Amino acid sequence: MPGIASWVERSVRAAGEWNLNGMSTLLVIFLVLGATGLFLALPGTRGGWRPVGMALLVAAGILLVFVLADFALGRELPIWFGGCALVALFAATRVITHTKPVYSALYFVLLIVAVTGLLLLMSAEFLAAALVIVYAGAILVTYLFVIMLAQQARLAPYDARAREPFVGCVAGFVLLAIIAAQLLVAPSGVGAEPTVEEAAGTVEAVGTLLLTDYIIAIQLAGLLLLAGMVGAIAIARRQAADSTPQNGGVD
Amino acid sequence: MKSILYDKTTQAIENTLRNPLVLIVAALVLGAAALVPLWMLFPYYRWLLSDPFWFPIIVMGVMLKVILTSTAVCILAERKLASFTQDRHGPNRVGFWGLLQPMADGLKFFLKEDITPANVDKPIFMLAPVLALITALIGFAIIPWAGDVHWPWMPEGEVVRTQVASLNIGILYMLAVGSLGVYGIVLGGYASNNKYSFFGGMRATAQMISYELPLGLALLSVLLVSGTVRPELIVDTQATTGMWYVFYQPIAFFIVLVCTFAEANRTPFDLAEAEQELVGGFHTEYSSMKFAMFFLGEYAHIVTGSAIMVALFFGGWHCWGLTSAADTSWIGMLIKLNVYFAKVAAFVLFFMLIRWTIPRFRFDQLMRICWLGLVPLGIALLAGTAILVALGWQHNLWASLGMNLVLLVLTLIYTARSTVPVTGRQTDLPEIQVRPA
Repeated sequence: MPGIASWVERSVRAAGEWNLNGMSTLLVIFLVLGATGLFLALPGTRGGWRPVGMALLVAAGILLVFVLADFALGRELPIWFGGCALVALFAATRVITHTKPVYSALYFVLLIVAVTGLLLLMSAEFLAAALVIVYAGAILVTYLFVIMLAQQARLAPYDARAREPFVGCVAGFVLLAIIAAQLLVAPSGVGAEPTVEEAAGTVEAVGTLLLTDYIIAIQLAGLLLLAGMVGAIAIARRQAADSTPQNGGVD
Repeated sequence: MKSILYDKTTQAIENTLRNPLVLIVAALVLGAAALVPLWMLFPYYRWLLSDPFWFPIIVMGVMLKVILTSTAVCILAERKLASFTQDRHGPNRVGFWGLLQPMADGLKFFLKEDITPANVDKPIFMLAPVLALITALIGFAIIPWAGDVHWPWMPEGEVVRTQVASLNIGILYMLAVGSLGVYGIVLGGYASNNKYSFFGGMRATAQMISYELPLGLALLSVLLVSGTVRPELIVDTQATTGMWYVFYQPIAFFIVLVCTFAEANRTPFDLAEAEQELVGGFHTEYSSMKFAMFFLGEYAHIVTGSAIMVALFFGGWHCWGLTSAADTSWIGMLIKLNVYFAKVAAFVLFFMLIRWTIPRFRFDQLMRICWLGLVPLGIALLAGTAILVALGWQHNLWASLGMNLVLLVLTLIYTARSTVPVTGRQTDLPEIQVRPA
């Protein structure tokens, strides 16, 4: 067994050192694996191939998290990071491959929780709490609400089959390739150990930054939200008049 | 005729159990059986108590046990209180004064058939009660039960904290966990594949999303006064100054109280399980231990909500002349713990009294109380507190009380002048002018 392990390690190392225009072969393998797996796993007519697609995706995820990151960063990732990242990848894949919308929304919640774990590992506690409160607590509950209200007895055609899975997979993974290649050719920005001090993610630090350096951004965000709210109220009022004309549109 | 279910032996056992002396002796024997080995082995494991890693885990285990057991006691208290309100005896068959009723209830839950209806969405149907219970329980992590404690065998000056996790996001963690709490109910309602359950889940979603807003606003007002989001620091400040935040921010406390009722799905906000309209609401299809988990989750939610309110507004473990932050002895810790529990118990009893006093709101009333009542009040309160903070008066009792009084008077004037009360009939509302599509 040690012989096989060292052989695998040697070939992986050789593959990692062979660069293709700044893009590691391992990265190419990951991208091809991922794209093929996702294409097969997306809901469509290829019924029997979906488990194969999921298996390919799992392999791609393990490759990404444990092998590729090892090469790109030059150090081993903490086990907690690997676990959270794998859960997040799995959940993200299931969000787009599951045929039932409710399950998709639930996997999105799982994704949020896993990303929260990643943020906590970087001691960005405020961001983690805000992510859970805003996404898992408000936005996804509303999604779930809408999905449940719009549910149908049988699977809707647009849920049962992905639209243009091939084009979508190719486009997505080409984008991913560009981003990942940039990360690999600029390892100084990624590979360095995080040097932020302990207090950077606390409520006090984030709040002070938001109200000093980023005051214009936060005011603009507030304005945008206000405009959105006014717009939503305007739209909702007219809808009420259309649907219930007999009692004067009282909502 | 000899009845099989109620023969002489059963009668004899029941009569024995109804004797208070038997119960006391049994409690003493069982307690000794548990405590004597613990006491004898104490020198071997006492380092665990002074270890900053293991002590929070011990606190977690002990508190989990206390909360789950107190749930059983809560159910007995609820039934006794209900019978008191309705002028009847309540459970008094099992044990003296019905004290063994929780055990009988638990046994009944275990022995009932666990039915999974044919057309439910099975994975979600299984997941929902678990989510409901877990989200209610993990909120306990940030509660500072009894301040710092210094064990006699620890080096001088070292203390451990009787808190599972000291997070620097503190109250935000509570909000995050509370916002996840809705999933159990919503998913339970959806997975049951039953119109009534579904409506229950829908109502719970709308209600919880709505009531999180005033809750957040009122909590922000308190955080402006305290200047920190760590619950242990909030409690310490209240203990050292001797001024509970409820004196500074009574309106904020009122809003948080109402929102805690709504978030815990308690009467008068238990629209999600309205028996008259929705059979059992989201838990209609649940039976046996799955239902029990929803039930446990609801009571755990009440206890968490009460504990958070005690920490934020009622000084946590602080009681004038009885406890102080400087006292870190283990006897002081026990006293603080009891003070905390007494306050939480008072809150839980208040929750129960309200349940048997105030009838349930209609759904439109519920929404209007939140959006036309609590949210504007919360925004006004936040603005008022912010002005106080800008003037540096947030720790001035009379300034705070004056601000609250002004708000109260304004609210009363507004309510008196509005032609329709917030809880009025739908048909009494003025027609909304809608421009044609």
